[in-house]
Amino acid sequence: MRPTLRLTGLAPVRMAVWAVVAADVALLAWVLITSLKSTREVFDHPWRLPMPPTPDNYLTALEVGNFGRAAVNSAVVGVLSSLLAVAVAAPAAYALTRTTNRAGRPLTLLFALGTGVPTQVILLPIFLMLSSLELTSTLTGLTLAYVGTAMPFTVFLLTGFFRSLPGELEEAAALDGAGVWRTFLRIVVPVARPGLVTVFVLQLIVSWNETMLALVLMQDDEKETLPVALIGFAQQQQYTGTNWGGMFAGVCVVVLPMVVLFAWVGRRVTEGMTLGMGK
Amino acid sequence: MALAPEPRPGPAGRARQRAFVPMAAPALALLTVFVLGPACYAVWISLQQTAGYGESRFVGLRNYARLLGDPVFHTALLNTLKLLVIGGGVTFVTGFALTMVLREMRGRLVARNILFFPNIVSALVPAIVAGFLFNPDGLVNTVLRSVFGVSDPPKWLAVDNTFTLILIVAIWAAVGYYTTIIMAAVDRIPAYFYEDCALLGATSWQRLRHVTIPLSWDVFSVCALLWTISSIKVFELVLVFGGGTAGTPPSSTWTVALYSYAATYGGSGSPPELGMTAASALVSLLIAAAVVLLLRRALDREAVRF
Repeated sequence: MRPTLRLTGLAPVRMAVWAVVAADVALLAWVLITSLKSTREVFDHPWRLPMPPTPDNYLTALEVGNFGRAAVNSAVVGVLSSLLAVAVAAPAAYALTRTTNRAGRPLTLLFALGTGVPTQVILLPIFLMLSSLELTSTLTGLTLAYVGTAMPFTVFLLTGFFRSLPGELEEAAALDGAGVWRTFLRIVVPVARPGLVTVFVLQLIVSWNETMLALVLMQDDEKETLPVALIGFAQQQQYTGTNWGGMFAGVCVVVLPMVVLFAWVGRRVTEGMTLGMGK
Repeated sequence: MALAPEPRPGPAGRARQRAFVPMAAPALALLTVFVLGPACYAVWISLQQTAGYGESRFVGLRNYARLLGDPVFHTALLNTLKLLVIGGGVTFVTGFALTMVLREMRGRLVARNILFFPNIVSALVPAIVAGFLFNPDGLVNTVLRSVFGVSDPPKWLAVDNTFTLILIVAIWAAVGYYTTIIMAAVDRIPAYFYEDCALLGATSWQRLRHVTIPLSWDVFSVCALLWTISSIKVFELVLVFGGGTAGTPPSSTWTVALYSYAATYGGSGSPPELGMTAASALVSLLIAAAVVLLLRRALDREAVRF
């Protein structure tokens, strides 16, 4: 409580905030409930709970929408690329924050600048490059693309994080004769674990939801990720009339893992996203 | 802010120097191969006329000239600027207001986390759900008809309205993120400033004007920077807004990112134009860079130390 900060006359505003919060929760609940209804029920009884709840929509999403395959692909590419991104970015960010090399500062800036390059600029060159290596429509190619495009963001976040760690332990380890790599792996990584996990989770969220690269690189249904499957499913229904139950089942497959992740490590995510901003 | 250790001669320092290259090189190589190199190569592609197969022709700046004359690109540019300026302004003001309100609310973290939630969900999801809510027989109109007795509810998804809805959804999705950032900055302001205010009998407006805003000023420019970068990327929200169309959505809703995508992957029978994709994407990057420079000038004040 900060009684000294109290503004007056905020009760209606507070109500409005809670109304928006409640609407957000209601919307999520709605999507979840609708995904368990039959197509008829969706429109005939929009307010009712599903009676009885049916898994049909999920079966449709799995069979027609290819969501099962896509979920596996998304999980594999997401976890693998995020792990690799952190494994590559962490030593680099550490070296950049602790180096006495004159190149350290401009290189750090280069990574920061990279965060400003939008996907649409690098989309074609990445496609042409992976295509010449015959890596388009492969999970390897997409994973590589995600690891590469993750570099600016992960290195940038981790430099902010390493800068906030005190250097004394490392100094002590260096005086004891431990090499730089040994110091990094044995001393720095354990201390920096919360930061590394945060960056991993953030990157996992980014790659799970990434659409533009996936849409262009993955032309094969067998290799598509969830956002591509969701778009494909939405577009199919242009002709058949929208099957909202099936659609919302697909939406749930995309959203629910993120809900679980957020419920589990949400504080870390929000803190991580504000890490190294300001001071 | 802790500074990097001072240069120290001696074996530890030298070992650290030697390790610098192997530690930083892989990340730097990936940055070069997947971000910086492609960005440079995009400049080259933007000077070509090519469909990706067959022969390509060097056309100089002709793709950029075509963009200048293309009404569809004008609309896309205008939409992106609307997102950048209107969307950014509303998001920021709302985020700041929410910070002020949430600060003294019970359950502030719960509220903030729920408002933050859209940020970890693909923008495809609100785009699709909007179709369910706003289509002619959708939920919103059902409510308007049955509860409020509106006989002729608005056509929410009519082409003229779609972009406004997109703008609103984009703001709704982003507000939680900016609230979180601003809140983190405002929370760092030590309480004794406010205690002083109370002693001096300052009004709440004076507190805001002379303490809260100046002391969280540097995070405002960070927010502006982040918004600029993210607003030129808005893509999936537009691609399937309202439930998805085969191919691309109506061009009145396009952003520059969608224009770039559609120039090559539009699939409307016309041959892919890689040069136009690259040129339009680079224009969006240039605009973002120009806005960032302008904002830096406009927002650059001596940060208040505390």
